[in-house]
Amino acid sequence: MSAAEEPVPSPTEAIPFFTPVNFILLSVFAVFLYVQLRPKAPVTLPQGPPPVVFRTFIPSTLIEFNGEGEKPCYLAVRGRVFDVTPGKSFYGPGGPYENFAGRDASRGLAFQSFDREMLTEDLKAPLDDLKDLSADQLENLQNWEERFLEKYLVVGKLVAEGDPEAPKS
Amino acid sequence: MASETPLLAKLDALIADVLADWNIYSTVIAGSIVAFLIFSFITSKDPDIHPFLLARQSTETFVRQPGESAPFRSLETPYGFPLRSGLNVRDPGTPKWSAGRKGDLRDVWKTAVRGAVNEDGSLSGKQSKIYTVLGRKAIEHSLDQITQEINVIGHHLQAAQAKTVAVCLTDSVELLASIFAGAFYGFRVVIVPHNLEPQILSTHLQKVQAEALIAEAGALDLSTVAKGNKRLSQVVWVAKLGSRHMDWNEVPADVKDTLSVTVWHELVDEKRDLAGLEVPTYDPKSPSPGMTTVWPSSSSEGKFIDFEPENLVAAIGALNSTLPGAQRFDSNDLVLSIDSLSRSYPLCQVLRALYANASVALNSVAGESVDFALATVGVSPTVIVASSRTMSDYHSKVMKPHTGLISSITHWFQARKLDAGNMPSHGLLNQVGNMGPTSELSFDKLRLICISHRCDADKDIRLTSEQLTDLRIFTGARVVYALTGPGVAGAVAQTNVFDYRRFEGASHFGSPLSSAEILLTSAADDQQDRVVEGQITAAGPAVVSGKTTLPAQGRFRQDNTLELVS
Repeated sequence: MSAAEEPVPSPTEAIPFFTPVNFILLSVFAVFLYVQLRPKAPVTLPQGPPPVVFRTFIPSTLIEFNGEGEKPCYLAVRGRVFDVTPGKSFYGPGGPYENFAGRDASRGLAFQSFDREMLTEDLKAPLDDLKDLSADQLENLQNWEERFLEKYLVVGKLVAEGDPEAPKS
Repeated sequence: MASETPLLAKLDALIADVLADWNIYSTVIAGSIVAFLIFSFITSKDPDIHPFLLARQSTETFVRQPGESAPFRSLETPYGFPLRSGLNVRDPGTPKWSAGRKGDLRDVWKTAVRGAVNEDGSLSGKQSKIYTVLGRKAIEHSLDQITQEINVIGHHLQAAQAKTVAVCLTDSVELLASIFAGAFYGFRVVIVPHNLEPQILSTHLQKVQAEALIAEAGALDLSTVAKGNKRLSQVVWVAKLGSRHMDWNEVPADVKDTLSVTVWHELVDEKRDLAGLEVPTYDPKSPSPGMTTVWPSSSSEGKFIDFEPENLVAAIGALNSTLPGAQRFDSNDLVLSIDSLSRSYPLCQVLRALYANASVALNSVAGESVDFALATVGVSPTVIVASSRTMSDYHSKVMKPHTGLISSITHWFQARKLDAGNMPSHGLLNQVGNMGPTSELSFDKLRLICISHRCDADKDIRLTSEQLTDLRIFTGARVVYALTGPGVAGAVAQTNVFDYRRFEGASHFGSPLSSAEILLTSAADDQQDRVVEGQITAAGPAVVSGKTTLPAQGRFRQDNTLELVS
């Protein structure tokens, strides 16, 4: 635009460089350059859920984890506490195995029975020693245990109340 | 609608007005924009590895013990899978889908001598070579010749009923031969660093109850060493090429009765025909003896680490599998170790190279602190194994001061490329960039540098991300950076070969190898979500006695890579 005002323009000087269209084009170029060459921060992924701390349970602390509401759902097999929350529809409230939630399920699994009689009702009693089980029942239990080990996490161990390993408080 | 038409018209007028100024410069600029876009589209490549794989490099187990972090494992062997425990050796004749054996050092040598295999499983007949680098000269040794030496020395020491053999040599074929002779002929090899004071060596020999000693001729005073070592009865001198004409069989008078002295090359010459060129046959199920190395600790004494063969093969297997397929050692590689074989990382890398039928170059000056430029002149390696001290010295003394203006500019562009996740190629730009710091070195074929850092080494020699980037750019090779610890064969953790990301300060050490898992123990666990910092504990098949705590504080970063703190 300003070129017209120059007194005696020579042919090359007649073409002005700083015109709006050139300015726009240069800015576009600059933006592309910046996008290509800007320092890029490495990709980050959000951290997963924090790991569960391994705990020693006694029956009266394990009973808390029966899957009601938002609580996780645990059950114990021969002293090992499994986190069965992913299978809450089976082991949680309303599921076919709900009696086992927060309990020592060893005897029930060995007998393939989900009845209340299979549980040690007295939470202060020593753990079920399973001495009276037949070979078939023990094998049954073994199979269940292996399946649990494959599918679920061991998050603690279960000891009887008053056991030297039991937590103090 | 009525108000829109004048607006559009105004806009139209404005654009027409602006475009009216279009001139030759505008065409040039528009042309360069198009050219730039086409150029960046053509040159843009997918990063070498998916960025998400670098954003979380190891898996955290879901359960942890109080006072500890959860164990971290390599992505190859996450929680629920067995850690890597061996070489997965498949003997000929075994069913195709059966799991391989763990193997031991005998399998490593047997595979090396067998030579490379074609893709269809047939032998290609291409055997690797071992070179010893002496200054600018490289001497070639064939594996058959070394098999012969293994047999001669093995027979000799077996006949002398030695159960523990101390080897005090610089990196050489004799050292390798002694290691394999131990595996085949059933004696434990103790690798003692070679530059020790006679007094310290003597105490070392006492400690390990060595019955035989293999050492460099003339490097030791036998009277001092033999004093107090009642069990020591055999000494094998290894004479250097230049001093073989001398008579090394002489024994000092005071130990003449107890010591029998022989010379390596004379022994080999003498019994060459008896021993034969065949790799000794062995029952893979029979146990092979372990190996002992010295971990240099702050006290001059050092600490003995008794590796079982299981530890070594687990480490060799893991070091191999941690590299993606195309990056693994193969028969076209020449692996040069400029770090001493008495340290487990270089040792495992060299054994792994032999197992992969790669050629190996050993350097007699190899050690923790060597001149990188001098140590690499004799050969043109594809892989270099070095220590963090060597590389850090080289970077600060040579690479940094010799970086000129042109190399700085190419460095800037190449660093951009690395940030984008691509390794710059050995191209023209690289040649220009190389005009500065590394021009005198023979790095044309170099593709990988394996650097190890002792977890209890000086803080100053920890390499920074910037230094690793400089090494990548100026040598044109990828870099892996490993953390080693006493009691862990190979390495504790190693960076991903495609991880070119740059961070402030000292570099991290990547993820644990697949042969061990790492957890951090901390006294300051007040039931917080995670223990993020603490003393490093490693457990797994590569760890002596299964589990060990390292004298170092570590931290897992947000991308689940291990770094050292304090």
